[in-house]
Amino acid sequence: MPYNIAMISDFFFPQPGGVESHIYQLSTKLIDRGHKVIVVTHAYQGRTGVHYLTNGLKVYHVPFLVIYRESTMPTVFSFFPIFRNIIIREKIEIVHGHASLSSFCHEAILHARTMGLRTVFTDHSLFGFADAGSILTNKLLKFTLSDVDHVICVSHTCKENTVLRASLDPLMVSVIPNAVVAENFQPLAYTPRSQEPDHNAVKSMSRRLGPGDTITIVVISRLFYNKGTDLLIAAIPRILASHPNVRFIIAGSGPKAIDLEQMLERRVLQDRVELLGPVRHEEVRNVMTRGHIYLHPSLTEAFGTVIVEAASCGLYVVCTQVGGIPEVLPRHMTTFAKPEEDDLVQATGRAIAALRSGKVRTERFHDQVKMMYSWTDVARRTERVYDGITGAISEDEFYGHHPGSTWSATRGRAGVQSYALIDRLKRYYGCGVWAGKLFCLCAIIDFLFFLLLEVWAPRANIDIARNWPRKPFINDKNKPVGNGVYWRRAYNDRMDRRNGSIR
Amino acid sequence: MFRSASQHLAIYSPSNTTISYTVSNALHRSTRTSKILFALGNVSRIILCLLVLTIDIVKLQSFVERWPIGFINFYDSAAGRLTIEIIKPLDWRLVATGSFLVLYFCLRKGYTEETLLVLRGLGVQTSTSSPTYLSTSTTRFIPTTQIQDIVIHEAFKGLEVRFYLAIIVEGATEVVVVFPQLLPRRQILEEVWRGARKCLYEGRG
Repeated sequence: MPYNIAMISDFFFPQPGGVESHIYQLSTKLIDRGHKVIVVTHAYQGRTGVHYLTNGLKVYHVPFLVIYRESTMPTVFSFFPIFRNIIIREKIEIVHGHASLSSFCHEAILHARTMGLRTVFTDHSLFGFADAGSILTNKLLKFTLSDVDHVICVSHTCKENTVLRASLDPLMVSVIPNAVVAENFQPLAYTPRSQEPDHNAVKSMSRRLGPGDTITIVVISRLFYNKGTDLLIAAIPRILASHPNVRFIIAGSGPKAIDLEQMLERRVLQDRVELLGPVRHEEVRNVMTRGHIYLHPSLTEAFGTVIVEAASCGLYVVCTQVGGIPEVLPRHMTTFAKPEEDDLVQATGRAIAALRSGKVRTERFHDQVKMMYSWTDVARRTERVYDGITGAISEDEFYGHHPGSTWSATRGRAGVQSYALIDRLKRYYGCGVWAGKLFCLCAIIDFLFFLLLEVWAPRANIDIARNWPRKPFINDKNKPVGNGVYWRRAYNDRMDRRNGSIR
Repeated sequence: MFRSASQHLAIYSPSNTTISYTVSNALHRSTRTSKILFALGNVSRIILCLLVLTIDIVKLQSFVERWPIGFINFYDSAAGRLTIEIIKPLDWRLVATGSFLVLYFCLRKGYTEETLLVLRGLGVQTSTSSPTYLSTSTTRFIPTTQIQDIVIHEAFKGLEVRFYLAIIVEGATEVVVVFPQLLPRRQILEEVWRGARKCLYEGRG
């Protein structure tokens, strides 16, 4: 069954970033699969109202919220009238929120549950547990995620983090990683496999790096503390001192840029380190293909799309072993380091040695990455989550069979979260001594507000929007395949393992 | 957010190169009783207006020394004396405010009527009726050469998303919204949009 899906997040184009492009790519691929997708975000400078993007992706830039954007609490209910209007006129069935820092998304999930819609939340980031800001965010996250149908995380580390932060049942959290558009990240001299004249013959080996050749190390990251810029600043002089034929290219901007420049001036390394400043996402590939090694010194990272992009460009990756990074690339593409200066220098040394000795076949990375990561795959797996929460596939199939488990207390007989207010209140009440009561109050007010809106702005007065011509619906689940049952089992098994459901 | 329950579209097409669409939220009076009530309402409005004007003039008289002679006769009559007795003790501020309010509500139309007139080869004219009986409606004419396109789009209006019909004018930074006050529902807009495009562009194939 094709679904009408609303992607809701504070972060969307024209602002650049990982979450933004994730939403865009996922939506486009879901549209390709025959669903209807709209994006709801707040208005950006010079961009308000309703816009259409490629493929008929409709974007609502809701204007009035931007005034209160800094304070989240007063807007808990103010978004509801306009949200309800959009949901009704677009006949939305599933609300999919993105990013835990987006208050827009939290509100939308609360209202969507009040209106009786299925909700999914995708978490893109890791958070701490100790500082005041994190505690507040985590409490808010707990509030919205108490009553959500399913949660998607971008890596297993992220899943662990989210499950702990929001006290979730791990079974209702899936892992679906990000992907890259591999075509946009091709190495310089790339010939697709099929076009190679004959690929059994001995290939003209790509130029091997001799001991005297210069190796260029690329770093592309925003220069922030959490991206490990301090680590980079400490490591660069040591790496350059021990390896004479090494150059650095560093792209990105941020508050730590000044420290980096000071270090270069103090050590007089300007001729060996090139600073490019901020680069646009389209130009990242051109910067990457100038190098041989990609260095990623980040201190925390949920997924790290950039290292996939680097590997896709045929770069050998040196990265810190933090967060979700170890899950992202296979061993032969990476050298891991502990997030400390000595180990990073050593790991870079090992990577340089490996490249010089010709142990690493970087020219095959692109094809391998292309096989591993594609948005079509992400969309297919997301679609399976939608199938699971709407009850299109059975509870056993979606969550796995767990005899004697008691965790599904709040889940109805059909294996889906019940909308009844009393059931929702039960879920909210467990959030904490005071918070639980406060959240219950919010949920009740929200429900009353919903009833008021039904009287004040009746559904009959809301025009239904016309749909962009839909593409034919593809669903692997319903597709007739040879030996269907067996194939489908095997396929779903594989999906489950990748989605992180326990089997 | 409240939308008047009935907006209706009236189409008037004297020839196949001219067509006018009128959207109005006035009550539709079809029965005889409703027509009589409407007429009675209008008559009582006129009488009320005249009454208020008389009261104002009488009140003004206490400030102005020389007054048209015709009024003397009225003062001599019984009704005239009664009026003066009632009005004299009243504060002039009270009278001014009261009469302003009464006149305002009597002269208000209570409905809005918006028209799109399409003339092939000439252009289109949009007009919005005025809120009172005293002022005239606002119109805007756009010649064919300046019309780039006529489109239906959506926008945020208050706490909802509404459809609107807009004319894209060459060289202007903003589009001209047709029916800007009433913002009729999608069904009406689509009918107008089809008809207007047909009337404007049919000859060109």
